[in-house]
Amino acid sequence: MSDVNMAGVPAAGEALRNVLRRYALHLSLLAMIVVSTLVSPSFLSGGNVSNMLLQAAPLGMVVIGQVFVILVRGLDLSVASIMATAAVVATSFSGQDKDAALIFALALGIGLATGLVNGLLVAKRNVSPFLATLATMIVLQGMRSAWTQGAPSGNVPPFFRILGSGSIYGVPYNLIITAVLALVFWVILSKSTFGRKIYITGGNPVTARLLGINADRVTIICYVISGGLAALAGLILSGFVGIVDNWVGRGFEIDSIVAAVMGGVALSGGRGTIGGGLIGAAILVVVFNAVLQLGLPIQLQIIIKGVVIVVAAAFYVRRKAG
Amino acid sequence: MTILRPSARRGFLRRNGSQTIVVALLVILMVVGSLVSSRFSTLANFMNILEQSVTLAIVSLGQTLAVLTGGIDLSVGSLISLASVLLSGITNGDPGMVVPAIAIVLGLGILVGLLNAAAVIWLKVHPLIVTLGTGAALQGLTLLYTMGPAGKMPLGFDFWAFGRVLGLPVGAIITVVLFAGTALFLRYTPLGRYIYAVGDDSTGAQLMGLPRAKVLLFVYGFSGFTAALTAVFLVSRFGVGQPYTGANFTLTSITPVVVGGTLLAGGRGGVIGTLLGVYLVSLLNNVLNYMDISSHYQLIVQGLIVIIAVSVYVEKKRKL
Repeated sequence: MSDVNMAGVPAAGEALRNVLRRYALHLSLLAMIVVSTLVSPSFLSGGNVSNMLLQAAPLGMVVIGQVFVILVRGLDLSVASIMATAAVVATSFSGQDKDAALIFALALGIGLATGLVNGLLVAKRNVSPFLATLATMIVLQGMRSAWTQGAPSGNVPPFFRILGSGSIYGVPYNLIITAVLALVFWVILSKSTFGRKIYITGGNPVTARLLGINADRVTIICYVISGGLAALAGLILSGFVGIVDNWVGRGFEIDSIVAAVMGGVALSGGRGTIGGGLIGAAILVVVFNAVLQLGLPIQLQIIIKGVVIVVAAAFYVRRKAG
Repeated sequence: MTILRPSARRGFLRRNGSQTIVVALLVILMVVGSLVSSRFSTLANFMNILEQSVTLAIVSLGQTLAVLTGGIDLSVGSLISLASVLLSGITNGDPGMVVPAIAIVLGLGILVGLLNAAAVIWLKVHPLIVTLGTGAALQGLTLLYTMGPAGKMPLGFDFWAFGRVLGLPVGAIITVVLFAGTALFLRYTPLGRYIYAVGDDSTGAQLMGLPRAKVLLFVYGFSGFTAALTAVFLVSRFGVGQPYTGANFTLTSITPVVVGGTLLAGGRGGVIGTLLGVYLVSLLNNVLNYMDISSHYQLIVQGLIVIIAVSVYVEKKRKL
């Protein structure tokens, strides 16, 4: 804001401020880890770290999709509902590994189809993303509880149990999957023409059309990606939880949006990265975990989440203005 | 992209299209209802519907104003929960404490709304994010206050939920008066007109010197007030405040608003449409009950209605 570089102002201060600004996110994650470790030494213990990574993986997966949608000026409220539906699908069969492929295909199909409906409503019918994804969220919720008659039962096949909670050399499988997905989608977003189209569409849809970009198709694909990733995250989370109720993934829609906003993904579209969103997710998981480690009332988690999202959003507004 | 096109606004159907559709749907539902069950078209059933729709109506009233300015209030659900447990917790069965407790929670509602508006105005954060944040914080505070039902209300307090005046449910009368008052306010006062202006083009409104800050403070303050008032009726209905009692209202309060034809992008719509939307939702649930359709399917129907409503009233401009 008032960064007018007047004569006499030491350049070093300016440079430092720029560094602080650019890496504010990374630094705040680091600061949180340091503080948590100082206050509670068990924070950095192997058990706790792998616990946090296990929790971060499904959230990270959803955040990747959310970033795509937010980049095209959208918002996906249906992700938690897709996750829960995928989890219900996971337990709807014999509970044996022979059905794993079927479950996988069915859940992914539901996720992609929901994303497609969201995208069509937003792009073709000009429905506000909030309402479109809210409506599909409600419909899925109804279909899910109609299917299970309100009381899901059955077992998650061992394959998904391993994916969701197993680890190799201390690295959870689900984290490896999230990392691979993050890499793939980072390449798509940052290195491909399609990624450029996403940024242009989100930055200014009119420009996008003038450039001959099929903005509708770009938008729809972003929602489809989000739906598909949410379905995967739901399967993996069901493997982590082990039991399935109608609400696996509850709160993930809010948490994923909070993570993306904290990570500097602008709700006005066109600005933000997958890396930012993932660091946002990491911050969220660290904060939640710190509350537990410090023995504070668990209700504080929700309060902190509420305060953090407003503060983070205000920070980015200010930075844009500056 | 808010070019006013007067030519496109002419004609009764153009101007009142959404209301006409909702009224038509209400009529169709009544016909279906009376075909399905002989108990449907009785006075008792209609009074019942009116009585049950009070809470949804009141919270949707405040929501409508927030949406008219191009915003949204996602904190109403948690605010209702907090106000509910505070109301019955403070009162705790003492008739002398009822009035002070109501005053406290209504004041709290307004305060929360003003805070929301302040964050929107001065932090320049989108209302969706602000109210999402305050909603989470309020739910946390509610759970810090109590994890279960808190306190109780004195005998007779259920009058507000179940009482009748001139044969009509008290709450329904209050609802209609509130909606009529707000409709007149929106139409005939400068502040009411400014609400539309801010929603139509926030920057333009500000450039023209309209008091955007004042409008937003009023609108979110009002939404906080109606949420707290909803809590009063809910507590009256259940006899006690519960920490999750408002959770569903955040999203369900938006359904009647959009079904009633208020655009989420702001600037167009009104509270009468919302009231019709409330009655449509309540009537639909009632008819589905008589058709023995389980609540699972009712959810599907509700979602489909939102989809149909929002894709019929094509939004002129797209925002969050």
